[in-house]
Amino acid sequence: MVKNLLPETLEDALTIYFGQPELVPYSGGTDIMVGSSCEDKNFLFINRIPELKQIRLDNEFIRFGSACTFTEVIENDLTPTILKEACKKIAAPAIRNVGTIGGNIANGSAKADSALIFMVTNSLLRLQAHGSERILPLRDFYIGRSKTAIKQGELISEILMPKQNLDNYYYEKVGARKALSISRVSFAAILDVSDDIIRNCATAFGAVSDVILRPSEIDNMLIGKSIKEAKAIKSTYIATLDKAIVPRSGRVSIEFRKDVCMNLISDFLESNGI
Amino acid sequence: MIDIIKFNLNDKEISYTGSASARLLDFLRDEKKMTGTKCGCKEGECGACCVIIDGKTVNSCLVAMGSIHGASIITIEGYSKTERFETLSKAFESVSAIQCGFCMPGMLLSSECILDGNPKPSETIVREGLSGNLCRCTGYNSIVKAVLKASEKGGGLW
Repeated sequence: MVKNLLPETLEDALTIYFGQPELVPYSGGTDIMVGSSCEDKNFLFINRIPELKQIRLDNEFIRFGSACTFTEVIENDLTPTILKEACKKIAAPAIRNVGTIGGNIANGSAKADSALIFMVTNSLLRLQAHGSERILPLRDFYIGRSKTAIKQGELISEILMPKQNLDNYYYEKVGARKALSISRVSFAAILDVSDDIIRNCATAFGAVSDVILRPSEIDNMLIGKSIKEAKAIKSTYIATLDKAIVPRSGRVSIEFRKDVCMNLISDFLESNGI
Repeated sequence: MIDIIKFNLNDKEISYTGSASARLLDFLRDEKKMTGTKCGCKEGECGACCVIIDGKTVNSCLVAMGSIHGASIITIEGYSKTERFETLSKAFESVSAIQCGFCMPGMLLSSECILDGNPKPSETIVREGLSGNLCRCTGYNSIVKAVLKASEKGGGLW
């Protein structure tokens, strides 16, 4: 009954998926098993495939295997603090022990807490299919509410986080409670300053719109500026972001989401002397 | 290619040939009659269905049978035969940490994982470790106290 559903290698998984594209990939199961309809699905179990469980470093990237659980990501020495912090705020230990970063991305939710960090760090996805593969910026993966650019037969095999200075980051998850909390607004930002020049500025807003927002063109306004110059254009930067952020209503109102976003961006700038 | 799901359940080898998408929670309660694993919410919110898989707490309501091939699983029935359980159980009794009892199997297994990872946990670590286990009677402070007491009394067990 379970034949073909339990591949032992990534190659096996991709071959099976190519032949049976109706299968539903099962990584951690913590989203897909909610509700009764899961019992009628035929899953392709990728949760124990060794190639998808590695976290390693190469010249350009920290490479996270998509089936790494949040706990495994938190406990790994290669994981940057900003990602550890976001993963620690996901649900509770029993969920973090099986829920995976690949699943968090693949379900296409703008509330995905680990995906927010991969977005603000301009991470890329390695998408593999039987006989082919491609690299796609995470930003291009999200194409609408719960809609992604994944093609038939493709699996997310790795998340590639470009090596960069992530020491000075800002992260805030606004939820209704401490544990088992679903983001109502989440915000992550990176500011890399050296010799008084902003070398990198990146922001991302989660749980606000249909997709995680990553206004890189607006953030570019601050890159290359001194702190003093950044201060001088702060109001223009904030006003441009204000226009670009168009929240949708949900568990909280549009106005609440907008206010929180603008408060967080102000706090991020002020905490950096801007 | 694997066509039988094999795993270890409370120190017994199990070969399972049923539906791979069935829930571990239902398998435990309906097929194995291990009703100590409680069904609270079936969406990973309450922690009443906690079991230990490969040394870590997991909500069995969110686990499909196909995902546990090769795993080692401990339920409250297996855990209750251990010295660690005796120590935890006595600590829970001594500070009246048990009210209706529905959350207890999950609370005890989460407590085991907290102490297994850190034999002398701080209160913060205990609260974090129990954060996925809801108690409808809201007796959290006593439960936290019980875990800290078990840590004190259980010298060398964890």
